[in-house]
Amino acid sequence: MEEKSNVKRKRKPYWKKEGFQAYMFMLPTLIGFPVLCAYPMIYSLYCAFCDWDGINAPVFKGIKNFKYLLFVDPVFLKSLKATFMYALINVPVTLILGLALALLLNKKLPGIKLFRVIYYLPTIVPGVAAIILWQFIFKSDVGLLNGILGQLGIAPVGWLTDEKVVLFSLSMIKWWGVGGMMIIFLSGLQSVPADVFEAASLDGATGWEQFRYVTFPMITPVVFLQLITGLIGCMQSFAEAQIMTGGGPNFASNFISYDIYVNAFTNQKYGRACAESWILFLIILAFTTLIFKKSESFVYYEND
Amino acid sequence: MGKKQKKRIYIGVRYVLILIFCIPMLLPLLWMLTTALKDNAAVFRVPPQWIPSEFHWDNFTKGLKKINFGREFLNSLFISVVVTIGQICSCMSVGYALARLKFKGKKLWFYLIVGSMMIPGMVTVIPVFRLWVTLGAYGTWWPMIIPAFLGAPFQTFLARQFMTTIPKSYDDAARIDGASRLQILTRIIAPMSKPLITVIAIQAFQGAWNDYMTPLLYIISKPEKWTLALGVGRMTSSTYGTQWNLFMAADIMYMLPILIMFFFGQNYFMEGLGSMNNSGIK
Repeated sequence: MEEKSNVKRKRKPYWKKEGFQAYMFMLPTLIGFPVLCAYPMIYSLYCAFCDWDGINAPVFKGIKNFKYLLFVDPVFLKSLKATFMYALINVPVTLILGLALALLLNKKLPGIKLFRVIYYLPTIVPGVAAIILWQFIFKSDVGLLNGILGQLGIAPVGWLTDEKVVLFSLSMIKWWGVGGMMIIFLSGLQSVPADVFEAASLDGATGWEQFRYVTFPMITPVVFLQLITGLIGCMQSFAEAQIMTGGGPNFASNFISYDIYVNAFTNQKYGRACAESWILFLIILAFTTLIFKKSESFVYYEND
Repeated sequence: MGKKQKKRIYIGVRYVLILIFCIPMLLPLLWMLTTALKDNAAVFRVPPQWIPSEFHWDNFTKGLKKINFGREFLNSLFISVVVTIGQICSCMSVGYALARLKFKGKKLWFYLIVGSMMIPGMVTVIPVFRLWVTLGAYGTWWPMIIPAFLGAPFQTFLARQFMTTIPKSYDDAARIDGASRLQILTRIIAPMSKPLITVIAIQAFQGAWNDYMTPLLYIISKPEKWTLALGVGRMTSSTYGTQWNLFMAADIMYMLPILIMFFFGQNYFMEGLGSMNNSGIK
């Protein structure tokens, strides 16, 4: 309306128009999105089909990189396996543990706030600080875990040196930080209206039945969101491998993100690394789409 | 058994479970602290010693010297503060446009921002790295600082969501009084968005303080420009020996600023979005 009345008389200068000013406010994204997101995505897709050493211009080579990664490279498939296994160990455990702890702390009891802070504390510890701390705990000679096992008369475990154990060990760091997940579940639980529980207990529902048929269906959107973010987070694990294990032993913790880093920045195989990063992206995309599709059957939205 | 008694047992069991789970949460941190206070011989003692026989507070000064702590602390602080300012400015600005202004392509840009939250950083990192190298920014802090001024998708999304809840009538009234849109944002919307700004500030600061990968990529060859995350992350793999008591001391000092922030702004940390309205955790 404002604009129409202006057309009749004198035109408003363009820099005073809402549309123009809005674009000025949008400037960070108008520059940031193309430069830091769209262009890198497209360029890395192009480079995935190229030989590129980072010095000379990329040379188009068709699907050579993908062929190499999937059929020749002895490391890539191991990386893929390590990443999947890590996600498989981690995502369900943190989801269940996070929900269980949230249920445990979802009660108005004296001192409950303090306990919530204690449970949340490990999440505050910066990733690198946590990794250094756990690296020490996992040490085979001076480490706390082997020290305790020794007292119990159990033989020491190579927490970071045994390829069968290393993923489990790294997962323990993630489980330690389950407090973040717990807090999100806690706020989800508290948004369930109280009258729903009253109705359920009037109908004679037991504690488990209340959880199974009332609480859980109400918080499925939270579970769903956490499933996706947890999966994406696990798929991108990097610092653990870079600082603690160097991808070893025998590539058992050589996560794809770390392999991309090594290929690009140590081996100067930028094209191959781009191909890997796109495979990672497509895997994450496929999983997210799958979860979205499946979610229709288990996620409950109040507005529906 | 009476109903009241049954309830009491129920609460007792709950407390016991809560206390049991506290152990794995606190034990590593406690272990870190005691190790930081031991002398080097006590670190290697078997069985593990929970309370050091002597408290070596000087480990903290020695540990800090190990990694050029002072310099790295100031570097980290500077970068984190600048990143925080950048993200507050850019996210508030874009969030304001998306929430309160009309323009062509608004929906499209909103979806692009939401969509870019899903893109793993690893996919874009190589071309972005080459871009910074071409611009001559390798070995500088620019690759860590500039992106903060170009809008972080998640925080922009938060800002947009928060600002849509503020009634439009504030803007209209201010427009009639002759305020420009920039004035509306800085004088009216921003003061009403203090919880939002706090959450963005905490997340931005924490993100920059904790970031390991970006400094690893761009400034690894320039030790005088290292951040604390990089210094601490590199210390165990370098030739400093295996003085775990000193490592733990340095590690504690690295996480201390974040811990202090946490104790002052617990709710903003723990509830994030939830703390921005009044329906947080009770």
